[in-house]
Amino acid sequence: MTHIPASRPRGLGRRGSTRQWPGAVFITPHMLALALFMLVPTVYAVYDSLQTTRLIGGTHFSGMANYRAVLHSAEFWEGVRRVLLFAAVQVPLTIGLAFLFAAAFDAGIVKYSRFFRTVFFLPFAVPGVVAALMWSFLLLPGFGPYAKLADGIGLGHVDFFSSRMILPTIVVIVLWEWTGYNVTIIYTSLKSVPQQITEAAIMDGARLGTIILRLKLPMVWPTITMLFFLNTVGALQLFTEPSILAAFQPQSVSFGFTPSLYVYNTAVGSGDYNLGAAAAVVLALIIGALSLGAFALRRRRGEFA
Amino acid sequence: MSSPAHTGRGSRRARKQGAADHVPIHLYGLRRGTVTVLTLICGAFAAFVLAPIAWLAINATKTQANVYGTPGFWFARPFHLFQNLSALGRNISGAGVYLQWLGNTLLYAAVAGLGSTLLSALAGYGFARFRFRGANALFYLVMSTLLVPITSVALPLFLVYARVGLVNSVWGMILPSMVSPVGIYLMRTYIDASVPADLINAARMDGASETRIFVQIVLPLTVPGLVTVLLLTVVAVWNNYFLPLIIFSRSRLYPLTVGLSSLSRQAETGSKAELVPVLITGGLVTVLPLIVLFLFLEKYFRGGALQGSTTG
Repeated sequence: MTHIPASRPRGLGRRGSTRQWPGAVFITPHMLALALFMLVPTVYAVYDSLQTTRLIGGTHFSGMANYRAVLHSAEFWEGVRRVLLFAAVQVPLTIGLAFLFAAAFDAGIVKYSRFFRTVFFLPFAVPGVVAALMWSFLLLPGFGPYAKLADGIGLGHVDFFSSRMILPTIVVIVLWEWTGYNVTIIYTSLKSVPQQITEAAIMDGARLGTIILRLKLPMVWPTITMLFFLNTVGALQLFTEPSILAAFQPQSVSFGFTPSLYVYNTAVGSGDYNLGAAAAVVLALIIGALSLGAFALRRRRGEFA
Repeated sequence: MSSPAHTGRGSRRARKQGAADHVPIHLYGLRRGTVTVLTLICGAFAAFVLAPIAWLAINATKTQANVYGTPGFWFARPFHLFQNLSALGRNISGAGVYLQWLGNTLLYAAVAGLGSTLLSALAGYGFARFRFRGANALFYLVMSTLLVPITSVALPLFLVYARVGLVNSVWGMILPSMVSPVGIYLMRTYIDASVPADLINAARMDGASETRIFVQIVLPLTVPGLVTVLLLTVVAVWNNYFLPLIIFSRSRLYPLTVGLSSLSRQAETGSKAELVPVLITGGLVTVLPLIVLFLFLEKYFRGGALQGSTTG
């Protein structure tokens, strides 16, 4: 260990260290943008959430009143409960399915796997708005081809937009949008597992299922946990899909169907920006707390390297 | 001494002989038919993925009556594609002109894409090849913004814009889209792997300025990384819905996503005729450029397919 620095020319190292300030200059433009377009607005939102604006009387400081209103809003919490349920179903389903596909492609036990990988990834190029629009037409009760198909195979008249079915419907849409993206990342990660390890396991008589679940899964676990984070943060912010479906079936997608919809409808729909800002801050805190909790748990179990 | 070299060479030869990039599958001792069954399952999922896009392409050629009245997965007469396409250039709904939204989206995606690529390259280089005070803390700050909900930034941005007059401003859309934690992460990793520190030091010894080193040495060596960041930003801006929805109230500034969503509301609530085919054709024209871009530049997308659902 101690030999390694000695092998580097001394003068060069020292000269290098006097030239470290340009690093700060190089990162400045991005840090400036980050400050102006993320940090300043966040601070301002907190400030705004502590105010109340009245039509008569203008804006005045109101302390925690907006937060009390959000925390006491049954509608807001119902939305939080809904996205938690949504995340608990959608995220493991998407990642589990993606892992199985990626493992099959990686083992080479599927024909035409290049073609499949390309096709699966295509929805990444489809905006959520367009995805939700297509699926709305496909599932439209009475007319949509899939609604007719459900009728045809004897499921009867299924209303995919009813208040009971709307959440599973959104799970399917989001699964359609994000499975291929997760396949791509897990596949890339699986490819970096050295072949010799697999060969050695085969010599030892391990079956394919054992190799995939006991050998490869642990090796790509850091990638999977990262995907878990990203997918969960995305799921908790669910907005685009329900807001588009709302145009087709307003009665199934309520004012506070998800916390993001609550924020949008409160601020832009009802014009109560202060209350909307408070709701946005609470949502950010919930997501932050969940992330930190998961992070701490992962660290304690020694999975974070 | 010589034995590690031997095994190294040996395994390299073995890999060459194996030819395929995976272990030969007969070694797994699979039951007959397993490959067929798995391929069929993948085929079913491919059909699940492709069906909505096929539906979009087919129904872009129909009249409104035929969209509702004929089988969804087959064509019907009259062939109405060109009429539907020409309707994209007109304001038939009162919601705005689709072509204008397309132009806006191209502008936002191009400018934000180039800007974000430049900022990411600069910052990635700064983090990869310099050790200055606070570098680690700042890098963690950048990475932590990955976990910030877009909802929690878009509304605050709007509140600030309302103060400084950036509501309904093109820059209000473009500038925040240039902030890309994933771009910085990718560029930092890429520069770490492909721009040798010795090369930079040598250039310094020869008296090259820091700017010149960046422009003439770092940028040319990182072109694949730059393309990846550019593509990811373009896709993210092209698909962004929440930010433009909040900051634009004038329909002539809308990007495609917000335009289409306002069109869909008109199509559902209003009784204006022939809006649905326009909506479907508009959706198709929104999706096609990105699919073409993706099919031709697939490896760049794969290289950095890290862009999280956080930007959706």
